[in-house]
Amino acid sequence: MGAGVWIWILLGLPTLFAGWCLVLRAPRQVLILVGVGGAAWGMVAGIAAWRLLGAGSATAAYGWLHVDALSAYHLFLLGLVQGASSVYAWGYFRSEVATGGLTAGQTRRFGGLWFGAAAAMSLVLLSNNLGLMWVGIEATTLLTAFLICLHVSPLSLEATWKYLVVCSVGVAFAFVGTLLVGASAQHLGLDPSEMLLWTRLRASAPHLAAGFMKLAFLFMLVGYGTKAGLAPLHSWLPDAHSQAPAPVSALFSGFMLNAAFYCVLRVLPLVEAATGDRGWGRDLLTALGLVSILVAAAFIVFQRDGKRLLAYSSVEHLGVIALGVGVGGVGVVAALWHALNHAVAKPLAFFAVGRLGKLYGTHDLGALAGAARRSVCWGAGFCGGLLVLIGVAPFAIFMSEFQVLRAAAEARAFEVVALFLVGTAIVFVGALRHVIGTAWGEACSAPAPEPVQAMDAGLVGGALLCLLVLGVWLPVPLANALSAAARVIGARP
Amino acid sequence: MSPGAGVEAVLALVVITDLLLLGSSRLRSCIRVVAVQGIMVSLLPLFLHGGEGAARAWALTAGGVAVKGAVFPLVLLRVLREAGVHREVEPFVGHTLSVLVGASALVAALWVETHLHLPATAAGPLAVPVGLATMLIGLFVIVSRRKAITQVLGYIVVENGIYAVGVALVGGVPLLVELGVLLDVFVAVFIMSIAAYHISREFDHIDVDQLDRLRG
Repeated sequence: MGAGVWIWILLGLPTLFAGWCLVLRAPRQVLILVGVGGAAWGMVAGIAAWRLLGAGSATAAYGWLHVDALSAYHLFLLGLVQGASSVYAWGYFRSEVATGGLTAGQTRRFGGLWFGAAAAMSLVLLSNNLGLMWVGIEATTLLTAFLICLHVSPLSLEATWKYLVVCSVGVAFAFVGTLLVGASAQHLGLDPSEMLLWTRLRASAPHLAAGFMKLAFLFMLVGYGTKAGLAPLHSWLPDAHSQAPAPVSALFSGFMLNAAFYCVLRVLPLVEAATGDRGWGRDLLTALGLVSILVAAAFIVFQRDGKRLLAYSSVEHLGVIALGVGVGGVGVVAALWHALNHAVAKPLAFFAVGRLGKLYGTHDLGALAGAARRSVCWGAGFCGGLLVLIGVAPFAIFMSEFQVLRAAAEARAFEVVALFLVGTAIVFVGALRHVIGTAWGEACSAPAPEPVQAMDAGLVGGALLCLLVLGVWLPVPLANALSAAARVIGARP
Repeated sequence: MSPGAGVEAVLALVVITDLLLLGSSRLRSCIRVVAVQGIMVSLLPLFLHGGEGAARAWALTAGGVAVKGAVFPLVLLRVLREAGVHREVEPFVGHTLSVLVGASALVAALWVETHLHLPATAAGPLAVPVGLATMLIGLFVIVSRRKAITQVLGYIVVENGIYAVGVALVGGVPLLVELGVLLDVFVAVFIMSIAAYHISREFDHIDVDQLDRLRG
């Protein structure tokens, strides 16, 4: 079986599941399909990523679809995040379906859009054509908008509206950038149907018109940066993450932001080669990364809402990833590794705060005081997840952030090192107080303690164990995949 | 009529619709003006690439005219009717000042164009600045108007501007990509309309300046 077949499976399977969700009658059946089908889709994506990494690269549809190490690695992340979130969504919505809080129509809509989003994100990762990639990103915005207001309320509608307008207009700028890439390649005499193919552009990147390419990168950084939640373009992000149901927040934070940033990573080698590898694009990424870390730190200190806290933490971590790619060297590998660690830790924290929110009826961190004693499993998940996210050693996020820092020091960018340390220190102190409150705080409301269920304990325990193991030991296949993906982006010379 | 003259006539009409949109106070006429602009922009490929690849140009024009000229106004007028909103635009910035902003956007776009050193294209020297100005005016409409529907209109105007820039800058974006973009824009407007309708049901208004409870 050729590697190209995997590409069609990756696009076809979620589309099939999405259609299947829409025709199922009972909401309980839809939930089972989301749980089981989502887990299966996650596994298929993981296996496909493994096979495609082994094959090196694969192409389908006359070169319009193409997979290399960078996209295969992101496919693995997508499968991981969406597989886990699907299993969690099954448990999360089960009580709502039983009590009628979620109607049959709403459940079908959730299932259809959930798998539709999976197909759109796969399209982003698989497309070799920059225009098709843009179509995929815009499709994720449109498909996920109504996931935010699954429960229609004034606040969720406000969040949905902001998300739709800010992301649609932002991503429209990325399309101008895509057109400018086409304009920069016009003098090369490529066939019009091949003009936007990334592989073609990469092969002739040093000959692209530098001025157009710079302009294109600026437009794409603003456009995809808006969708990736990089400050100061993040205005939609805390609202959408706080109002969406927890599984959706987990998918947004764990992978959708990375999918948008992946597009920036695709264009980076083009602009770098076109401008003579002087680090013009990388410096912009470094600056945007630092701004994101510092802005997020300022908001985290004063945050009272658990989900908004996690949302700003996503801004911070996307900032770390951008910074790592920006400083180059070992930082590129560290940034990709950081994306994996964040994709495990952030969904875990969202899972936990979502279930605690159901138990307490609020996400206010003051009201959640002492929650770890009421719900041992999810309380431990929230405290553990938050501790990992703020960078407690020896968990994986501490290690990857340390590598980013090392890369910055090796690049002799000491002002970057200083600002990065200031930002992460503020985040650490600001969020630690919430961890302590949730774990040992004086309980102000006391809902009935929740019994621990095997599936929940498996999700929490598995994620924490995974983060601990990754912190102390990097498996060889993963290390190989990381360095292969980093080679696609290219390092600062 | 030579193709160049046709393109210039279309571009002039696009500019006129920009300024009309900024100056009109009735939501209904705003929707119509944007529909006319959508049709004008959709005609561009026909004038530019009518000769070679005529089938592609016709497909694009037909799709664009159907979506931007017919479907968008129908959907938006329906939301207007169902939501029972006041028919006035209620801008934060007055109409006279808005038209002045639009005119300055055009000047700024022309100035930018002279400094960009673009390669000469079949679209002539005016398409890129008109497209840029239309994008800027669309953004201005989004931030300066109060109703959710006018934000949707602003988004369509931004898209129209991008389309004009795209046609002028790179004539040969593959048909599949163009159609994908058109489909995305279509779905985006459709979904925004549904969201605006829900907002009007839930809040009894569609004034986006009152959507300010999520902050911090």
